[in-house]
Amino acid sequence: MKLSSIARLYRVRLRARIVQEMFAVLGIAVGVALLFASQVASTSLDRSAQQLTRGIVGQMRFQLAARDAQGFDARLLSQVQAIPGVRMTVPVLEASANLVGPEGSRSVDLIGTDPRFARVGGQLVRSLRALRFTKLKALIVPAPVAEAIGDSSLQRVELQLGERAIAAVVIPQLLRGPAGGLSGSPVAIAPLGYAQRLTGMSGRLTSVFVGSSPASDREVLAGLRRIAAGSLNVRPATFSEALFDRAAGPTNQSTGLFSAISALVGFLFAFNALLLTVPQRRHLIEDLRLDGYTREMIVEVLLFDALVLGVVACVVGLALGELLSSALFESSPGYLSFAFPIAPRRIVTGTSVALACAGGLIAALVGVLFPLRRAIFSPRGGSESAPARAARRGTSWLLAGGLACLAATTVILLAAPAAAIAGVATLALALLLLLPLVLEGLTGAFDRLQVRFRGASSYLAVIELRSPANRARSIAVAATGAIAVFGSVAIQTAHGDLQAGLNQVAHGINSTTDVWVSPAGGANSLATRPFEGAAARRLRALPAVRSVSVYRGSFLDVGDRRVWVVAPPREVARPVPPGQLLEGSARLARQRFHAGGWVILSRAIAQERGLHIGDLFVLPSPRPTALRIAALSTNFGWPSGAIMLNAEDYARAWGSSDPSALEVALGPGVSPAAGVAEIRRVLGVTGLMVQTAAQREQHFRATGRQGLSRLTEISALVLVATVLAMAATMGAMIWQRRPRLAEMKVDGFNRGVLWRALLWEAGLLLGAGCSLGALFGLYGQLLLSRALVRVTGFPVDFSPGLLVALASFALVTATAMLIVAVPGAVATRVRPAVSLRE
Amino acid sequence: MFRLVLELRGLTKHFPVAYGEPVRAVDGVSMTVAGGELVALYGPSGSGKTTLLMLIAALLEPDSGEVLLDGRDICRLSPREAAGYRLRDLGFVRQSLNLIAGADVIDNAALKLLGTEMGARKARKQVGPLIERLGLSERASHRPEELSMGERQRVMIARALSTDPKLVLADEPTGSLDSQRGEEVLGMLSDICRERGVAVVLVTHDPQATAYADRVHALRDGRLAEHVASRALAPADAS
Repeated sequence: MKLSSIARLYRVRLRARIVQEMFAVLGIAVGVALLFASQVASTSLDRSAQQLTRGIVGQMRFQLAARDAQGFDARLLSQVQAIPGVRMTVPVLEASANLVGPEGSRSVDLIGTDPRFARVGGQLVRSLRALRFTKLKALIVPAPVAEAIGDSSLQRVELQLGERAIAAVVIPQLLRGPAGGLSGSPVAIAPLGYAQRLTGMSGRLTSVFVGSSPASDREVLAGLRRIAAGSLNVRPATFSEALFDRAAGPTNQSTGLFSAISALVGFLFAFNALLLTVPQRRHLIEDLRLDGYTREMIVEVLLFDALVLGVVACVVGLALGELLSSALFESSPGYLSFAFPIAPRRIVTGTSVALACAGGLIAALVGVLFPLRRAIFSPRGGSESAPARAARRGTSWLLAGGLACLAATTVILLAAPAAAIAGVATLALALLLLLPLVLEGLTGAFDRLQVRFRGASSYLAVIELRSPANRARSIAVAATGAIAVFGSVAIQTAHGDLQAGLNQVAHGINSTTDVWVSPAGGANSLATRPFEGAAARRLRALPAVRSVSVYRGSFLDVGDRRVWVVAPPREVARPVPPGQLLEGSARLARQRFHAGGWVILSRAIAQERGLHIGDLFVLPSPRPTALRIAALSTNFGWPSGAIMLNAEDYARAWGSSDPSALEVALGPGVSPAAGVAEIRRVLGVTGLMVQTAAQREQHFRATGRQGLSRLTEISALVLVATVLAMAATMGAMIWQRRPRLAEMKVDGFNRGVLWRALLWEAGLLLGAGCSLGALFGLYGQLLLSRALVRVTGFPVDFSPGLLVALASFALVTATAMLIVAVPGAVATRVRPAVSLRE
Repeated sequence: MFRLVLELRGLTKHFPVAYGEPVRAVDGVSMTVAGGELVALYGPSGSGKTTLLMLIAALLEPDSGEVLLDGRDICRLSPREAAGYRLRDLGFVRQSLNLIAGADVIDNAALKLLGTEMGARKARKQVGPLIERLGLSERASHRPEELSMGERQRVMIARALSTDPKLVLADEPTGSLDSQRGEEVLGMLSDICRERGVAVVLVTHDPQATAYADRVHALRDGRLAEHVASRALAPADAS
């Protein structure tokens, strides 16, 4: 068949079904947009981190790095230089700091380095060559960062480092990365000597980058390991890429999971929209067969339908996704910025486009061809009783298929929760397979009930629902409602569980005291920067203060994970926030924490190393320390995982008694606000921030919400898509119904009866679809929540989202009924003559 | 007389039923139709008329017997060959409900030609004279919903004849028409087919429709029960 003929046939048929085709385009486009936007968000994060690392380290091959903020003796540098095969070395001092300008503050990674780095480092630092770097007594910060704090140029700003607040001069500079786009990275670069003076770490380094030829890698590595002596890290220069990938993984995975499910919902909407056009396409196939078209030709015609639909939907979806990814799905690092100084920019790769388009095209192909498979491939022969037999066989197959899919979902839930996407797909399939049976049952029950009603409307509704001619359309409407409620319930409730889990952590960690004192800066929200702690003595002397305890914590690289180490004071009553223990007894874990020598480990870290409760775990801290595993926990909301031990064990393992925060308990009758005011007065000008437990908890929660922002946006989008899909489906159903309504008018039924019949029919369809959707949505919640715990390790507080299920059921049903009620009333005004004309 | 186009030899098709005797939809039917001849198969609902047409159109496989078109047994054709036979050698006129909504008269008439290697532009051009012959030139750009039932049926005739077939099967073509429109449509169908030497098998339960036939076969319980001469079945006989 010639392409021009296929195209002509498509074009002439399109006029009559343009509205339904647009609904299908919209459904697929929503799916494509979600896939594309989530892909772009994930890729942008990963690629930005990669560009920043490469922009700094350039061609360096290895890194000798300290395990804590205290760094190591700078004299090690000469030992490194003496290793055979080492071509060049670049000493670096890195410290977390907070820049405070006239218009705000920003957390930055202070990088003190040697002028040579400007020659041998990556493009980011090479742009500093123009400056007289060695003599500089200022911080070079990217222009957007300087702008954000209100610094124009060469202005004096406050640099908060631990307990201290120092005046410093900032030079805004345009920094360029490998792709010319790292200008917003939150870094401040200074000559090494100046940085050491600012931080009070004279004669200390945190890392040394090493350049060598590949041929001498083994020799250089051996030399570096000898110098490290088990208390420093030796790793590839670009190792922070791997650390970041690991940290961003769970967020990307959960976003991917939600996006895939949202896309599935979008594609199912499209599938249902296409089901509305099945009768037309089936007639076309029958006609074409009678007129001598072969199966191949019919498939060609339908493939062209699918291709046009898929391509248009992909174009619309990519445009929509572009809008989403730039306006909503910001590739914000969220709380990852606490441990990784990156400012991502949007990076669109060919893979993101290809993946989204492949999803859209497959959805279009399946949507067009699958419902018509029998019409296309039915054999030439047949018998008159075949339809009845097929219907009976169909019912059995539907039941068997539905139950099999439910069983498959349950197996995935219990045995392979990581395969949640497949689980949601089988669950959605079970829903669609069982729905016709539920609808049939409900119609039968209503039929028995309706004989008690007066009037013809309920009778007409039953007749219409039982008519084989309306079957595909009825199922399409009910299925749209079912999928709409299913999708929104599953995603919203799972999202709610995750948020509740993070809130539990926020409360559990912060509520152990009245007031928290820790180094300022957004990036220090988790209290991971140690400081001298000299303020503790002054605070203890305050009459308003009952006690001051030392909290310790930091980030520690364990393998390729940058882990959050949480070390509350030994005497704290409930060290592990409620609901966070995944394995082990809470009572025993508490006792062991108090006793010391024990550690509570994220399950993901333990599983990765094949460790169990009671096993020894060697903490790769500055002074490697062997501790026993007391229990296994969630990741406390930190994607790479968390380790909890008491503050005294921490001090031993880090060889430092510096606190990361002071937990201040106030005296009786002292309000937190009054306590904070008193503490701030005593501290005076300082680099420390003082927060009540409630304020800190709020900050934690806000950070958690920021981390989940993409998931929140996806949940909202699914709900919007749901309402739109229902509006579209019900609108299409009523429009298609006009000739039939006209026929009924010819038979003498008045407008009121027809309108009520429409309402009955819609009510039954939606009642069956939405209630089953809500039920399956709750099962979906279980599946997703379990997957989030298993796959990402995030804390999840599961509670059946009955309220959300009811709200979604009510919202979708009310929207649909409203659409039936208003345009339905207009549709019933159709002239009886329409039935004769058509 | 014209040459023999269609010959049915002992054509049989039975449908099994779950409990009871099989339904003998077509039971040993033999008949011939010559080019330019219009043969009506007349019978009540359920007499096997449509099954017989499906067998002739190679849409059903017979249990036994032969359907010969120009001496070729179409029952032995592969599905692909059968489709080619329907596309080029056969025209099918059915009730007018199957026109493509939204497509104009020319596109609807050219549907079969689009299935050939002709291409869309040429196909539209080719059906022009047929449209004119059927008196639809003025309505060529109209869509089905803007046409009367008689006009729609004429579009179906144009589609059936668009590939110059040897045989036309007409399944109750006047079923949804009033008597005057029905006569117009049948008149046109028989005239054009006669002009072109096309054999026509007309299936109907309308006694008036048989008036346009050269021969009328009554079909009862799947058998050709009687052979009524031609153009002479009075309404009274039919009842």
